[in-house]
Amino acid sequence: MTSIAQSLDPIRAIFRKQLRHLIRYPGELVFVLFILYFVAALTIAMGTSVADGNALTNFASQTGSSLNPFVFLMIGTGVWMISWMVLEGIGTSLRDEQIKGTLEQNFVAPINRFFLLVGTALSSVLITTLIFAGTIVSSVLILAPQGALGLIAAFAIMLIGLIPLFGLGFVFAGLVVRFKEPYAFTQAMNVLFGVVTGTLYNVTVLPFWVRVISGAVPQTIVIQDMRLAIGSVSDVIGALGSIFVLLTMGVIYPFLGYAVFKQFERRARVTGDLSKY
Amino acid sequence: MAGKTGAGLDPVEVRGLSKSFTVKEGPVFRKTAKTVAALTEVSFTAKKGEIFGLLGPNGAGKTTTIKTICTLVQPSSGKVYVNGHDVAREPQKARQDLGVMLTGERTLYWKLSGRENLEYFAALYHMSRTHATERIQYLLKLLGLQDRQDTLVENYSTGMRIRLSFAKAILHEPPVLLLDEPTMSLDPQSSRLIREIIQELRGRGHTILLTTHYMEEADQLSDRVAVIDKGRIIAMAAPEELKDSVKKSEVTEVEAQNINEQTVEKLRGIPTVTEVVSSIEDASSLKGVIKIHSSHGRNVIPETLGILVKDGVEVSNVKIATPTLEDVFISLTGRALRD
Repeated sequence: MTSIAQSLDPIRAIFRKQLRHLIRYPGELVFVLFILYFVAALTIAMGTSVADGNALTNFASQTGSSLNPFVFLMIGTGVWMISWMVLEGIGTSLRDEQIKGTLEQNFVAPINRFFLLVGTALSSVLITTLIFAGTIVSSVLILAPQGALGLIAAFAIMLIGLIPLFGLGFVFAGLVVRFKEPYAFTQAMNVLFGVVTGTLYNVTVLPFWVRVISGAVPQTIVIQDMRLAIGSVSDVIGALGSIFVLLTMGVIYPFLGYAVFKQFERRARVTGDLSKY
Repeated sequence: MAGKTGAGLDPVEVRGLSKSFTVKEGPVFRKTAKTVAALTEVSFTAKKGEIFGLLGPNGAGKTTTIKTICTLVQPSSGKVYVNGHDVAREPQKARQDLGVMLTGERTLYWKLSGRENLEYFAALYHMSRTHATERIQYLLKLLGLQDRQDTLVENYSTGMRIRLSFAKAILHEPPVLLLDEPTMSLDPQSSRLIREIIQELRGRGHTILLTTHYMEEADQLSDRVAVIDKGRIIAMAAPEELKDSVKKSEVTEVEAQNINEQTVEKLRGIPTVTEVVSSIEDASSLKGVIKIHSSHGRNVIPETLGILVKDGVEVSNVKIATPTLEDVFISLTGRALRD
């Protein structure tokens, strides 16, 4: 009879192994830290160059948000970066393991594939989340201190949003194991997510048919509700419906994603693709 | 045997195993798919406390067999049982009972130390931390890696990586060990150490399935050997039995210079000769060895020497060789293992 602690041992080991790799290849962490500031600053510079003195007024009327633009953008880029890490963490890491020759060693071990997928992404997600939390907290405290109370609600929403995101990551992992094209898939999806989730703007500016796609991506809700929460805690109470949708996605997406992954994995065992580089 | 689905009692049972792959060939937009049979109706069992060798040339199907047993490849047909567990229906139980060492040194995490690698895999095999720590220290010492346990694997030599890979396979003391070319690229001393450990594991009741290119290794270690060629098992018996089957046609081994194909063809023409295989060791002097399988053993020597001398082949040594597993393979297929 294995205890809960024992059954969690593999996921802890995978997490620790990934963390060690991240620490021993620190370039990615530095990239995550700086990209948040760079993207936000770049967008503000572009907006100012176009609208000059009217930039802030235009921004507020177009987005319908009273949030400081820098904080508004930091929330978008931060959530985008975390979704990037989940998709890459699960999908690309498996491909890296396949190329290195270690994937087979993991697949012959008696562990649930679910643990393998989650554990693989967990370390990069944790670090990115911590970096994001640090940058958001400091930005809010400096630029929008009235939103400090909403930070807890905002991070709670972000954590809820991670669950369905892992489901999408499982689909990616399946595609990678089967087709061995992680970079094309993840980069295309990351850019697409950046567009449809309203990373740098409010999704209301998008055409209706794009907003239909946006609605199926959990990060759209996360970004919107986090902005609402930091803008005013009372606003997020009015958005409980969207949080319920997020929770529903959190139940459905991981199951669907895992089922898709298992299907691709089964196919890869038939074709022998697990061993092919 | 509660919970086990296998009919037999042997730790490894492979029944009628076939595996075909679809391979696409040709230019990008005009690829044609063709089916390649990697394994055809392969059946064998490996008993408790037995070393079972799979011997065959590259591409014969040895690795596909191992990968099917360890659940990495799904068979097209047939059944595989590990300790009574059907690998298709109970893969997790089968995996728990298996220790797998796949070919190559890239099966480890190079950015982790040797100890960290073993700790990681110990957790994947659900070993308790206390037991894992003791076992890891024991294995690191046994395999001569204790002093370098905290060095990153990227700084290990090839031999050290292969020893660590072996340690990983036996870490959780699995009842069944699958070793794919365990001593490939190892220095003689490390190879000997690994062979000694394999023999010790057999003595303790572990079942070991071993693939190897090295005939001497298969001969020395295996209790039984299956000779596999083009995805089919063409012979299966104890090494001595297999070699006895070749003794009926003794092997004459000639070391010479200026070996050429025309002369070899002439030797094939000697009435009692069943097979002639030549291997060139030095291309510039055409120096090498000719192996002549004959139903009349040494009686073939005078005629052989006559042909060689007449054709200008410089003979440096002639001996009646004791048949090896290589000779078994030659007599079964007409080809050398490394052809």
